[in-house]
Amino acid sequence: MPTLDESATPLLDGLRAFIDPAQVRTDPDSRLNYGRDWTRLYAPNPLAVVLPGNIEQIQGLVRYANEHRLALVPSGGRTGLSGAAVACRGEIVVSMERMNRILEFDPTDRGVTCQAGVVTEALQHFARERGLYYPVDFASRGSSQIGGNIATNAGGIKVVRYGLTRDWVTGLKVVTGRGDLLDLNRGLIKNASGYDLRHLFIGSEGTLGIIVEATLKLTRPPREPSVMVLGVPDLNGVMSLYHVFRNKLELSAFEFFSELALRHVLKKGLQRPFDAETPYYVLVEFENPDESHTDQALALFEHCAEQGWLADGVISQSETQAKELWRLREDISESIAEHQPYKNDIAVRISRVPALLAEIDELLAREYPDFEVLWYGHIGDGNLHVNILKPTDLDSATFAQKCGAVSEHLFAMLQRHGGSISAEHGVGLTKKPYLHYTRDETEIGYLRAIKQVFDPNGIMNPGKIFD
Amino acid sequence: MKILVAVKRVVDYNVKVRAKADGTGVETANVKMSMNPFDEIAVEEAVRMQEAGKAQEIVAISLGVAACQDTIRTALAMGADRGILVETDAELQPLAVAKLLKAVVEKENPDLVILGKQAIDDDANQTGQMLAALLGWPQGTFASKVELGDGTVNVTREIDGGLETVALKLPALVTTDLRLNEPRFVKLPNIMKAKKKPLEVLKPADLGVDVAPRLVTLKVQEPPKRQAGIKVGSVAELVDKLRNEAHVI
Repeated sequence: MPTLDESATPLLDGLRAFIDPAQVRTDPDSRLNYGRDWTRLYAPNPLAVVLPGNIEQIQGLVRYANEHRLALVPSGGRTGLSGAAVACRGEIVVSMERMNRILEFDPTDRGVTCQAGVVTEALQHFARERGLYYPVDFASRGSSQIGGNIATNAGGIKVVRYGLTRDWVTGLKVVTGRGDLLDLNRGLIKNASGYDLRHLFIGSEGTLGIIVEATLKLTRPPREPSVMVLGVPDLNGVMSLYHVFRNKLELSAFEFFSELALRHVLKKGLQRPFDAETPYYVLVEFENPDESHTDQALALFEHCAEQGWLADGVISQSETQAKELWRLREDISESIAEHQPYKNDIAVRISRVPALLAEIDELLAREYPDFEVLWYGHIGDGNLHVNILKPTDLDSATFAQKCGAVSEHLFAMLQRHGGSISAEHGVGLTKKPYLHYTRDETEIGYLRAIKQVFDPNGIMNPGKIFD
Repeated sequence: MKILVAVKRVVDYNVKVRAKADGTGVETANVKMSMNPFDEIAVEEAVRMQEAGKAQEIVAISLGVAACQDTIRTALAMGADRGILVETDAELQPLAVAKLLKAVVEKENPDLVILGKQAIDDDANQTGQMLAALLGWPQGTFASKVELGDGTVNVTREIDGGLETVALKLPALVTTDLRLNEPRFVKLPNIMKAKKKPLEVLKPADLGVDVAPRLVTLKVQEPPKRQAGIKVGSVAELVDKLRNEAHVI
């Protein structure tokens, strides 16, 4: 990482006038760690890392940044996969991690207001302890923060039943790129009083301002969820299973992964769910409060087995087993990290999934027969993660360039199917060159105009989503 | 050879256990209940012996409320051949459990009894030892390896200093430790098959056993909450606090 630019010292001293000097960090470790997310494609190089403790300090920081034309990168748990929280151009990282308090809970509203730096899992525990449930959930729950989840409109593993982060945000406090504090929607369920700016900030990836507080809905926990892992011989079977199970069971997850992906997880010491190997697997989570639900699941299993859609399957007998089965799916991302995967996070309407899968399969087999390609994803949401592993004998730059070529093909295909180049990871830096496959020039023009309103000087996370 | 495996229905390992407000016990209403993990290991070991052709029949037994049938069904789905429930709503303490199991052992005449070394609810670690004593059988407790021979069984035990292997003459009793095996997941078709396997329901009175508790629980309460730590400014302050506040040096 480049050394600190000494000429910036007076600028940073100016910050220390209104933020605790210990919370303005310029040491190499802080700059490295806070300057990157889970992507490892960019060399972090922030000017400094600031850890504000309250809203006034954030407003002061934004005003100061406007005055001195400093770029700010809002930062949460830094578990993002598209580089939206990466600071590689001398920006100031604004970490929300000290603002991690849950402020208010109301059982009648079933709502909780918290600061942006609350870790997802902490909120989930908070809800559980009150007999309630915050359903947005994904593997990085132990690190990711509510503010970051909102800024990427995070999805995850329960979207089939509970929707995206957007569906749970009933109020936001934001500091705009102008330094104004907006109190948006204030936890209201109904509020038909004009433009709902809250929704602009959800998924804005830090480009409009800084999310400082959020009010979130909670719901009742699922009743006795059981987990099944089913072996599926072909991709069409996956969709057939989805149709059948969705109609008869209260699904809370319908996930899919390939045998090739499973093998990477098993290498980390997990147990194969059953002896038979099948090219694909489906993980189904459903509410199973009594025997009639189990019987229904068994009947569906039998029916699907007769149709040849599945080859074998197991069902959890305890929460411990449910967690073990989930790990087969959730640990994939971590288990392949060492292979520097080129990640794609694409979405189409559910009905288009089989056609798209067949086309991608054909494309990759034809153009890139040497690449190891892993499939997994939230197929019940029409969301697929296509991961290409870097062959050990290929250098990173060549690999990235070849994958870029794959992406062009892939995204042109997605465009034909009316899909999205980013389902839930955001655009950030990694998908910025491909935005036009999902949004046409006219639409991108409107996006730019909106940014101009909230951030006239372009200090908020510049270079992310679009230039 | 015939194997009897005892399985207990307990609060699921993943549930955060809470004491009841009135201090009479642990909250079990609306709490996920599952098979005791050590008993899962016991069932798995028996099923592996059967798959290896060394055992002909596996009988799974549970004692307690009617819902223990679910726990027995899980054992049947894992591979046990039939089940026995000794049904009672009474509180069962280890001695009562051992006496009931002894009565069933005398009825069933198994060559081997396998139990979990303890149940994760009360952590008593008594039933296996008491049962072996009541039967006058040899016992191999805390097993991390079990090898069947001709009329014998070698049990490798996890002990404080390392591993100890004992050779037992059948009939014998084994209690399982964590490293013995990794229990399988239950296959969906096997759940269907398990529904058709026989499950006999008995009452303690049928076995002529008095299950009245011998121990009285005075109170169940949560451990004291951990206090938050503090930051000290210097080594001298640390030493001072260790000496004069914590009294550890």
